[in-house]
Amino acid sequence: MKRKLVAGLLSAIMILSLTGCGNSAAPAATEGTNSTGNKETTTTESSTTTAEGEAVTLNFWNVFTGSDGDILRTIVDNYNQTNEDNITINMDIMPNDTLQQKLPAAIATNTAPDFVLFGVENIAPYVSNDSLEDISDFWETADVDKTNYLDNVVDLSYVDGKMYGSPMQYNVQYLYWNKDLFEAAGLDPETPPTTLEELEEYAVKLTDSSKNQYGLGLPTSATYMQFLWANGGDADDVNTNENLLNSEENLKTLTWLQNMAVNEKVTPQNVSGADADAMLQAGQIAMYMSGPWQINGLNEQGINFGIAPCVAGTDGAYSPAGGCSFVIPKGTDDAKKAAVYKFMKYWLSDAILKEWSQKNGFPVWSKTLLEDTDIQNDEVLSSISEATEIGRAYNLGYPLASQIDNDVMIPLFEQVITGASTPEDALKQASTAMDTVLGQ
Amino acid sequence: MNKIKKYQVHNQKSAYLFIAPSLIILTIFVFVPLLSSLAISFLNINIFMKDISFAGFANFKKLAGDARVSNATINTLIFTVAEVPVQIGVALLLTMYVAKNNKYTKALRAIYYLPFVCSMTAIGIVWSMMLDPNLGFIPYLLKQIGFETISFLKDPNLALPTVIVVTAWKGFGYTLTLLVAAVLNIPESLYEAANMDGAGEWRKFVNITIPSILPTISFCVVTTTISALQVFDQTYVMTQGGPLNRTETLVQYIYDRGFQTAPYDLGYASAISVYLFTIIAVITFVLRKFVLDKGENANA
Repeated sequence: MKRKLVAGLLSAIMILSLTGCGNSAAPAATEGTNSTGNKETTTTESSTTTAEGEAVTLNFWNVFTGSDGDILRTIVDNYNQTNEDNITINMDIMPNDTLQQKLPAAIATNTAPDFVLFGVENIAPYVSNDSLEDISDFWETADVDKTNYLDNVVDLSYVDGKMYGSPMQYNVQYLYWNKDLFEAAGLDPETPPTTLEELEEYAVKLTDSSKNQYGLGLPTSATYMQFLWANGGDADDVNTNENLLNSEENLKTLTWLQNMAVNEKVTPQNVSGADADAMLQAGQIAMYMSGPWQINGLNEQGINFGIAPCVAGTDGAYSPAGGCSFVIPKGTDDAKKAAVYKFMKYWLSDAILKEWSQKNGFPVWSKTLLEDTDIQNDEVLSSISEATEIGRAYNLGYPLASQIDNDVMIPLFEQVITGASTPEDALKQASTAMDTVLGQ
Repeated sequence: MNKIKKYQVHNQKSAYLFIAPSLIILTIFVFVPLLSSLAISFLNINIFMKDISFAGFANFKKLAGDARVSNATINTLIFTVAEVPVQIGVALLLTMYVAKNNKYTKALRAIYYLPFVCSMTAIGIVWSMMLDPNLGFIPYLLKQIGFETISFLKDPNLALPTVIVVTAWKGFGYTLTLLVAAVLNIPESLYEAANMDGAGEWRKFVNITIPSILPTISFCVVTTTISALQVFDQTYVMTQGGPLNRTETLVQYIYDRGFQTAPYDLGYASAISVYLFTIIAVITFVLRKFVLDKGENANA
């Protein structure tokens, strides 16, 4: 009898443990139902959109999980209410890694949303898998003047001369500095460092471990191309598939970086980007390199900060450029594509671009808008215009870009900044890893 | 005669009916994916499902030369070798105290079982917050009693041990419940005899309790080992495989290759899954041969 009891208990626990295992799979399952849900709405709608001028509902995925997502939502809601083409946009915001898991499978099974907003670095891998619509006819069809927008921004959405995305925002990395901490350390609060040497000198002065205060935030899980470029180094040549890691310049830069991070301890060790963001907002980090998305958070926390260009080395000053574009997944039908063009055109109007730049602190790249007096008088926007000029594309339009980051560059900088390997060894390892990635 | 035969056939039919639901679920969610991933491991295929071609053993050759696979294998094995004894050892020691049926021990057992019922994701997030060097209360307490600030999950040498402790903390209640059930099944007369011989608590535990529940312990060793080899949720939530890939386990790396890093190489990810499957199959076979059988014999 007791034996039966044990057996019963055992099987009950087995069942419980099975459901326990099931827990981990649960998010994936809900995602599945979610995309099938989308499929249903898409099929019912496509039957109603056959006739022209009828209501069109567009499903729209994006990765704007931060405060900028609220502003984007306001703009989209506003468009839904005011547009005269009977277009309704259903917006779905999700973290980037969720989107990257869902979208390829959705495209392969024809259940993709009608348009997507993501980082331009994603365009090339999707294009190389024939998963995005060629929208080279956009400027003509939608009647938008291409020449009104800065070439370096528009070019980010082109692969092999064909256009796959309509630009939405542009950004580079800035150097943020905390003016109050500068003053407390006896530095001029209005003069940020402009060279690698000054950056190091200031960072040391601004570090005070007794107060848990650091001169320069260097999160791991990030790349620091601006440092390599500053001394004339580079990672790889996109055009020739060549590995450029093994160079005297890179070794010099990485040795400098390790000395600063490990010996002079100017950075909190082993912090993620999110940790460093929080420390910057808490006034624990005096200098930090990041994109425009820091501005709103710093203002909310009342930090007295300045924005400067990334510092220069022997070869000059550079800053990795990025941006986001609207793209149309392969398989979207013509009626919906036409409706997406209308929204893309709406976004490219000066009124929307102005609202976006002013509310988020993103650089302006419309030529007519650059003439706008409000923009010219905007304190933040004018301080970033200089910092934006040194933008340099890094592996953009290159299908291997994210693999190079994940397998080569992020581990390289992590090894150097944490002191896990000497710069020589870290560079050697990274170079081998780079050969593997490029050899594919 | 005829009647009996008829009855048997009828009985078999209803038996099939009873096993059908679980068989269908197993087929859809276990057998088909298992065989598909074996097939996919021989293909050049990515998540976009375009330009699929036969790869032969290319994915497996690549696997053999991939330093991150060997790193992940070592991490997974370290995790298993450390986590299984901790989880079972803690449960076994506690069994001594809670294998009685009164109000307090019942309440304690329920409390110990609680973490096991919670989702690993939720537990991982809570522990990450408690261990955070800037926000967490554990580093804060340690600092108050004179330690330096410790970043448990971000220090390359501490991250894996921390994940192991959290996993054992979550799982020991499950092991404990199994062991207690087995202990309560031991005839009281054995203990009475031991009492007469003047045996102490520890003596009784070592010489009566443990041999009597050996089959259950073996069962726990096998199941815990298998789930430890598949460790993923906790590292994914707490460390994402970092720092310096020190907590990157095989499942984590499979996930990274298949779903996180472009070009989302499903063929290669499947090849690593097949490799992991082989490791688990071999270890399970060995454990069954030497641990489970031994346990059963001891019982007999």
